[in-house]
Amino acid sequence: MNAPGLAQRLERSGLSRRDFLSFCASMAAVLGLPDTAGQAIAAAVENEAKPILIWLEFQDCAGNSESLLRAGHPTVADLILDEISLSYHEMLMAAAGSQAEQVLSETVRDNAGKYIVLVEGSIPAGADGAYCTIGGKSALQIARDICGKAAATIAVGTCAAFGGIPAARPNPTGAMSVGDAVPGVANLINMSACPANAENITALIIYYMTMKRWPPLDQYRRPLFAYGKSIHDSCERRAHFDAGQYVEEWGDDAHRHGHCLYKMGCKGPATSQNCPIVKWNEGTNWPIGCGHPCIGCAEPNFWDTMTPFYQRLPNVAGFDVGNWVDPVGLGLTGLVTAAVAMHGIGEVVRHRAGEKSSDNSGSENE
Amino acid sequence: MTRPCSENTPMHRVYVWELPIRLTHWLIFVATIVLAATGYYIGHPFISVSGPARDHFVMGYARSIHMYAAIVFAMAVFVRLYWLFAGNQYARLTELVPLSGRRFRSLFHAILFYAFLRREPDEYPGHNAMAGSSYAMIFSVYVVMIATGLALYAVGTAPGSPFHIFNNEAPWLYGLQMARLIHHIGMWIIFIFVVLHLHFILLSSLIDRTGALDSMFSGYKFMPNKEGTARD
Ligand code: SF4
Repeated sequence: MNAPGLAQRLERSGLSRRDFLSFCASMAAVLGLPDTAGQAIAAAVENEAKPILIWLEFQDCAGNSESLLRAGHPTVADLILDEISLSYHEMLMAAAGSQAEQVLSETVRDNAGKYIVLVEGSIPAGADGAYCTIGGKSALQIARDICGKAAATIAVGTCAAFGGIPAARPNPTGAMSVGDAVPGVANLINMSACPANAENITALIIYYMTMKRWPPLDQYRRPLFAYGKSIHDSCERRAHFDAGQYVEEWGDDAHRHGHCLYKMGCKGPATSQNCPIVKWNEGTNWPIGCGHPCIGCAEPNFWDTMTPFYQRLPNVAGFDVGNWVDPVGLGLTGLVTAAVAMHGIGEVVRHRAGEKSSDNSGSENE
Repeated sequence: MTRPCSENTPMHRVYVWELPIRLTHWLIFVATIVLAATGYYIGHPFISVSGPARDHFVMGYARSIHMYAAIVFAMAVFVRLYWLFAGNQYARLTELVPLSGRRFRSLFHAILFYAFLRREPDEYPGHNAMAGSSYAMIFSVYVVMIATGLALYAVGTAPGSPFHIFNNEAPWLYGLQMARLIHHIGMWIIFIFVVLHLHFILLSSLIDRTGALDSMFSGYKFMPNKEGTARD
């Protein structure tokens, strides 16, 4: 029975049942579910068997672990994650070395087909996987072993979901996403963003515990509750966008009045996530809220296609096209117009010459 | 044989452009102007307004007009593409893509003529093969513009909207920013096409007197009589 455990732990941490219920209600809100779902969530968290989680960390900056540790409701969420039994997390677990690896292999052996893997970081496949090895095994090998036997794999952060920064051109380590590294992996869910929002990860796991299934996904296998809407469509500056009020320069009047950052290269129109709603750091703020354009970190190939961050259009493979496509287009159109005008003059000359030579009837020409 | 430019040259009328061709042509013409103007503003919002946001809707109108014009454009292109298969001999796919020997000769004939290396123009009522190929190319650009436009539109639709499905384009366009870049490049290709198209139509109308410009209104072109080729 887990229920008394959770209640006691909440009490020991000085948290009331009210705190717990408001946490459940906030999870319902993140998931876009009605208020009443909070009760179902509370019941599920208290009574249902907890899934076993394994956290694998590969080629990354540990930013997603950091993000999770600073989850909006650290105490309640931490307690619940403890309850869920995070069996293996290199950064958080006390055990180290072969002892840690033993825990991992035992967990996998005893719970094959039942546990959930969260993967953080991309998987370097170059040089036979030599760029990232743990306990003598390459990241590729570990991912295939462990994700292959999991009930579900959650790719946490853009590196795990899409390859992220390590996979950006020229991708020296041959980095790839979990989906590419372990083809056909069961129930893959991509929780992209750099880092992934801890609220969304917690909400995803809570959803699974409550509904006993995974939420609907978008074209990149991201849950619609968190990635179903573009930043642009729920942005607090959208009224200024539609009005035609744009920041033209850092610190100008428009910037100080909180106008739209579109002309400063905001990638909100090309990026889907719930940042404007859920925000970061306990709902304190988010990038656009504090005056910086969205850099599109939740999208595939973001380092290649969302850069330059302060420009509207991307550059392609070394060409500075983004900045130049419209001036070059205008120039080419001008050139063609000039060429065509010359050609027109040529045609008129030929026409006149032809008329003179073909008939000398003296009729007026037009 | 001289160019069919003299007032005394005997001519006859040929019905070339059926109603769907003329209609879609002018719909595409108007829609393109509207799309280019609003699209340029969406890419480079050069109008800045002050005061409370609730008093203005400049970008909002630009985007709404762009989207309504896009519907007209897409429908017109769709009908024109259908007419590649359903239309008369002058509207068909074979007129655009020079695959037969006759069309190949027509292509070189037109190129040599406009390069001042041949005296007589190609006397064919429909498109010469050079014009035809340019239309094949520009129709492909239209399709790309519609596809990238739909991809950019789909991100703002809710699941359940019929347009939501176009979100699936983004992965193979290498993301929405690439769609946006292609959409910009496409506009300039269309601009350059418009300049060339206008030039050749005006040449053909004003100098060769084929009535090319008028024919897009009436459907009829005027061709010089040749022995045994009196049509219609
Ligand atoms: S700041 Fe960015 S996301 Fe917000 S309205 Fe402007 S362009 Fe859209």
